[in-house]
Amino acid sequence: MSKPSDLIQGTLDLLILKTIALGPMHGWAIAKRIQLVSKEVLQVTQGALYPALHRLEQQGWVRGEWRESESGREAKFYSLTKAGRVQLDKELEQWQRLSSAVVLVINAAQEA
Amino acid sequence: METGRWWDVLRMRFRSLAKRQRLERELDKELRYHIERQTEENIAAGMNAREAREAAARILGGVSQIEEECRDMRQTQYIDNFLQDLRYAVRMLGRGPAFAMVIVLTLALSIGANSAIFSVIDGVLLKPLPYPQAERIARVFYRSKAYPKFPVNPWDFLDFRARNRSFENFAMYTHADVQLSGTGSDPVKLSAFRISSGYFRVLGVQPARGREFDFSEERPGNGNVVILSDRVWRNQFGAAADILGRKVLLDSQPYTVAGVMPPGVDHPGNSYNSVAYGDTVDAWTPFTFDGNPNNRGAHYVEGIGRLRPGVTAEQAAADFNGIMTELASQHEGDKGWTIYMVPLFQEIVGPVHKMLLVLLGAVGLVLLIACVNAANLLLARAAARQKEIAVRAALGAGRGRLVRQMLAECLLISVLGGALGALLAIGGLRVLVYFLPPGFPRTDAIHVNGFVFAFTALVAVATGLFFGLVPAVQASQTDPQQGLRDGGRGSSESGRQTKLRAALVVGEVGLACLLLVGAGVLLRSFVNLLKTDPGFQPEHVLTAEIALPDATYKDKTAVADFYTRMLTNLSALPGTRSVGAGTDLPWTGYDENLGGFTIEGKTPPPNDEFHARYHTASPDYFRAVGIPLVWGRFFDERDKKDSQRTMIINDVMARRYWPGEDVIGKRITFDDKPKESDWFTVVGVVGDVKDKPESAGAEPAFWWPLMQQPFAFRSMTIALRANTDPTLLAESVRNVVRELDPSLAVAHVRLMDKIADENFSTPRFALFLVGLFAGLALVLAAIGIYGVISYSVSQRMHEFGMRVALGASSWNLLSMVMRQGVLLAAIGVVIGIGCALMFGGVLDSLLYGVSTRDPLTLVGVGAMAIATATLACLPSARRATGANPMTSLRAD
Repeated sequence: MSKPSDLIQGTLDLLILKTIALGPMHGWAIAKRIQLVSKEVLQVTQGALYPALHRLEQQGWVRGEWRESESGREAKFYSLTKAGRVQLDKELEQWQRLSSAVVLVINAAQEA
Repeated sequence: METGRWWDVLRMRFRSLAKRQRLERELDKELRYHIERQTEENIAAGMNAREAREAAARILGGVSQIEEECRDMRQTQYIDNFLQDLRYAVRMLGRGPAFAMVIVLTLALSIGANSAIFSVIDGVLLKPLPYPQAERIARVFYRSKAYPKFPVNPWDFLDFRARNRSFENFAMYTHADVQLSGTGSDPVKLSAFRISSGYFRVLGVQPARGREFDFSEERPGNGNVVILSDRVWRNQFGAAADILGRKVLLDSQPYTVAGVMPPGVDHPGNSYNSVAYGDTVDAWTPFTFDGNPNNRGAHYVEGIGRLRPGVTAEQAAADFNGIMTELASQHEGDKGWTIYMVPLFQEIVGPVHKMLLVLLGAVGLVLLIACVNAANLLLARAAARQKEIAVRAALGAGRGRLVRQMLAECLLISVLGGALGALLAIGGLRVLVYFLPPGFPRTDAIHVNGFVFAFTALVAVATGLFFGLVPAVQASQTDPQQGLRDGGRGSSESGRQTKLRAALVVGEVGLACLLLVGAGVLLRSFVNLLKTDPGFQPEHVLTAEIALPDATYKDKTAVADFYTRMLTNLSALPGTRSVGAGTDLPWTGYDENLGGFTIEGKTPPPNDEFHARYHTASPDYFRAVGIPLVWGRFFDERDKKDSQRTMIINDVMARRYWPGEDVIGKRITFDDKPKESDWFTVVGVVGDVKDKPESAGAEPAFWWPLMQQPFAFRSMTIALRANTDPTLLAESVRNVVRELDPSLAVAHVRLMDKIADENFSTPRFALFLVGLFAGLALVLAAIGIYGVISYSVSQRMHEFGMRVALGASSWNLLSMVMRQGVLLAAIGVVIGIGCALMFGGVLDSLLYGVSTRDPLTLVGVGAMAIATATLACLPSARRATGANPMTSLRAD
């Protein structure tokens, strides 16, 4: 189980935004989906997830809405706002630049 | 899109603050849902129910910690802190309610006064006039050396209208009241204007029914049409739907109703025979005239025009002056005039502009003093609270937090003051509007509205920050160690703080002196006005107006006969001492001049023809109004229609045109080629009456005898001097007129002293308000001095005790304390009077016979301020004399 600090700063936001870009999702489902898609490599703790969701909501990137969930009970579903979609593109682009840079450095180090 | 996001952010912040409990419930529910799902998953994986629940809770970690972190994400701690500060402030104020009340009340009074005056300024000076694109409307006057503002000649008007390139529409209008009769009820006099076509297009208003006049109706014979006001249509015609096309009787002549205006059409005001600005006009008829188009000497119509878009009043004036030059080359009567063009707004509010700004300045000074006073009192309290502040600082409150906390208190005080002030303003404004001088423009536009409330709120907050900042910063500089160490003995002010407070008191006294000087010179000016001999005796005189319709009173003989019979009947009324009729009364804005007459044996200087105010008077007119005879005789039965023509002139005319000569028997004529019978002989000289009490001097004037008037003056004013209360005779006057002619309306029945009094109402109004504000300022300054001296005495009681022990007498102590207070006041007086000498000039145009440098006023103000300071110090000084040497010795 990785701690939030294990994730590079800001990565959790990116993961959440990317995940709910597919459609509105509640917190538990977001955590599950990140876990599933990353083949259990990334485990988002609830202690990090909910504060992050609330921060994103305060910043206007996501919007929370109470709805009936697949289990039949009420759950808070998060969806991307228009501004959130733009933010996601920005963060994706930054992430790709960052990760390819990291790859470059690592490859160079191995060759040396 | 970005705005969309910020909208979301704002919404979230608001929710975080306003719906805190709901958010907490939702957060709880959200986390519980997570645990339940995890539990279900665990059960599916084979755990039993209890294990599953515990495992789920473990994965989630500390629920309360997550909740806390989620809460932090709302970022509202600043506001939370502020609310906390505010609650603390409420508690602190509650602990010293008398202290808080003094500050809140003084602030409320001054903020309320500011809001009330600002409401007047908003309504009169800031709101646009109620005409579409009113800034494009301009008034047109003539100007010459002798007359800065003169009405237009109607023939010139036609030329200007045809030739000018500046106005979309150019119109003229002139005051001509009419009598409406035949409606089934008593005849009434309507305030009416004769207007050229296009007049309403200049104003930008259209009749609600019917139409405006067109050019053809300006032609003589076509002019018997009328546009009625909404008020007359409702009150006199029961809002009849079929009013258009109906015939009504105006001055006993049939007129066809062409239109009805919507309610609330504001008359733009006029200077000649003036009618107040506002919804004051009841009927409009076409201006028709004919005669000799070369007669350019008569000036009696008012010009008004709507400028083409983009054309300024200056450009239009240049255009008109060009036309004036052309006209002057063709017509003798147009020589010597230029055009004076003034935007309508300026024309309407110009006369009160200065006074309102002076009032705003005065009331702003009061607010400044109230602020300084509040700062002063808060400083005193901050000193007393040093221990508490030191404790808070020692417990880790940051400096910023301390400043914020003090400011929260000040804001609370000022907002309370502002709220109370707004209530005071609403009440005060009604009183203020009630006492506005008659003829004050745009009074119906004065309201407390959202703008005024926004102004009040802004002033309140700015005030709080202003008076709070100094004490707050001072307090935050408290050294916790020092404060705690002093704490046991009740902390004392630092030297710097004492100096600051002394400086604030000096400032307060200075500002108060500035206001007192203003009030003082206004008072002197007002007394000067009252002391000036009006030139007539307004007491016990009843006045009324009558207008005879052309149809029944066809010529001047018929008019003169009617008035003679009426006056005979009126003088027979018991209680009448003397009764007369004249074309006008003193101080009622009458300013009709006749220029270009011939004085036997004299030639006028070039470009400065003989001119004088002209009037008609019945024999007893001067006795009834109380204008004294200086020389010769009043009119009497000798001045008959066919006897030698006579006139009475005033003293100024006698001295201007016959300097050093005996004027009785001198002659004047108004004909270019006079026959012997065209000469008027001066038989009497009467005392001068100025146009207004504040006018620099009287204008030359003469009177024709009623029986010899050169043309029929159909509108006359009756003046009846009674032995007792003249109001008792009002009904008898109506009866006398009704017996002679039941179709006549007796209008404007008023008392002469009331008319005279109205002429003092503007200076009285300014004096009253500035005096009120100055009084308030003085009280505030007294509170300031009292506060500082009282605090200083309580700090020095120990020292005073020692002094008594060393042999100081009560008198020594008393004078020591008094000296301290009076010294502060004296410095303030010097500064205040210095400022008054520097800036007092702004008042001078409102003053009569006195200037702001008036030494008597300055000395009086200084003495008053020192006396007030002495009184304010007295309680503290007496306390000082009670210092007990034993207490002091024991304490050491």
